[in-house]
Amino acid sequence: MKERLVDALRSFFIIVTLINVAMLVLGGALMPDQKFGYEAFAYPLIYGAVTSIPGLFMGSSKELSIPQTIVRDIIQLLLIITALLVIMFGGRPVDRDTVLSAASVTVSVIIVFILVSLIRWILDSKAAEKMTADLEAYQRRS
Amino acid sequence: MDIRIQKIDETGTEYIEIGCYKVDGRVQDIVRFVKSRQGSIDAVKDEQHYQLPITDIFYLEAVDDKTFIYLKKDCYETRGRLYEFESSLSDRDFARISKSVIVNLMKVSAIKPALNGRFMCVLSNGEKVIISRKYVPDIKKKLKGEE
Repeated sequence: MKERLVDALRSFFIIVTLINVAMLVLGGALMPDQKFGYEAFAYPLIYGAVTSIPGLFMGSSKELSIPQTIVRDIIQLLLIITALLVIMFGGRPVDRDTVLSAASVTVSVIIVFILVSLIRWILDSKAAEKMTADLEAYQRRS
Repeated sequence: MDIRIQKIDETGTEYIEIGCYKVDGRVQDIVRFVKSRQGSIDAVKDEQHYQLPITDIFYLEAVDDKTFIYLKKDCYETRGRLYEFESSLSDRDFARISKSVIVNLMKVSAIKPALNGRFMCVLSNGEKVIISRKYVPDIKKKLKGEE
C-alpha cells in the first residue's frame, strides 16, 4: 500500500501541473472571456485528487505483466474520465455546448494521461540506465 | 538436536555429520541448506533428481506452494521454499526482486523500465522478469554494494 500511496502522490503532482496547462489551453480556446475567483486555484487540486484515487485501489497482489499493466491503465483512464465528467457536467442538460465541452475535457484528460505516463517513463528510463550501469559495475566486482 | 562444532587440522577435509534417528524432512532441510551453501541445489525434473550448480541458475520462482528453478533453457522443481533460498543465497549474487522471484544478478544483462515505477530484468537468455516497486530500493543498494 505504501508504494501505491507514493505512486499516487507522484502522479498527483504531475497531474495537477498538467491540468493547469490543460485549463489554460482549453479555457483560452473555449471560454476566453470567463472570469474566475480564487476558488479556481482549487480546481486542479480537486481534479488531481479525484484522478489519483482510482490508482490507489487498482493494485494487484500478483505482479502484472506489461500488457496486463497497460490494460489496467486503460481501465484506470476510463474511470478517471467518467469521474471527471460526472463531477464537471453531472446534472447539466445535454446540449451542443455541453457535449463539445465534455469532448474537449475527455481529449484533454487523455492527453494529460499520456503525458503523465510519458514523463514517468522518461524518469524510470533514467533510473533504469543508472541501475544497469551499477549492475555492470557489480558484475565486474564479483 | 545438539550442535557440536569441532576444529580440525587444515590438512583434513571439512565435513558435516548428522546423527539422527531417521532421515526425516527436518534432516533433509539441513542437508539442502548445506548443499546450497556449497554451491548446488537439489532439484527434480521428470522424476529425475539433479544437483544444479548455483552459478548456472538464472532465477527461482515460487508458484502457489511450489518453487521452480530456471536455468538457461530448462526448468526444475525444488522442495526448498523461496524464503529459505533468499536466506541461503543472500551473500551470493542473488537478489529478491518480487514477492515470488529471486534472480541471479550475474545473469542479468540489462534493467529496463516496466511501467508504474517497476523495472524489468532482461536476462542473458532473453527472458524478462519484473522487479516490483517494493524491492527496487533494496536492489539499488545491492548493486551499489551498500548491502
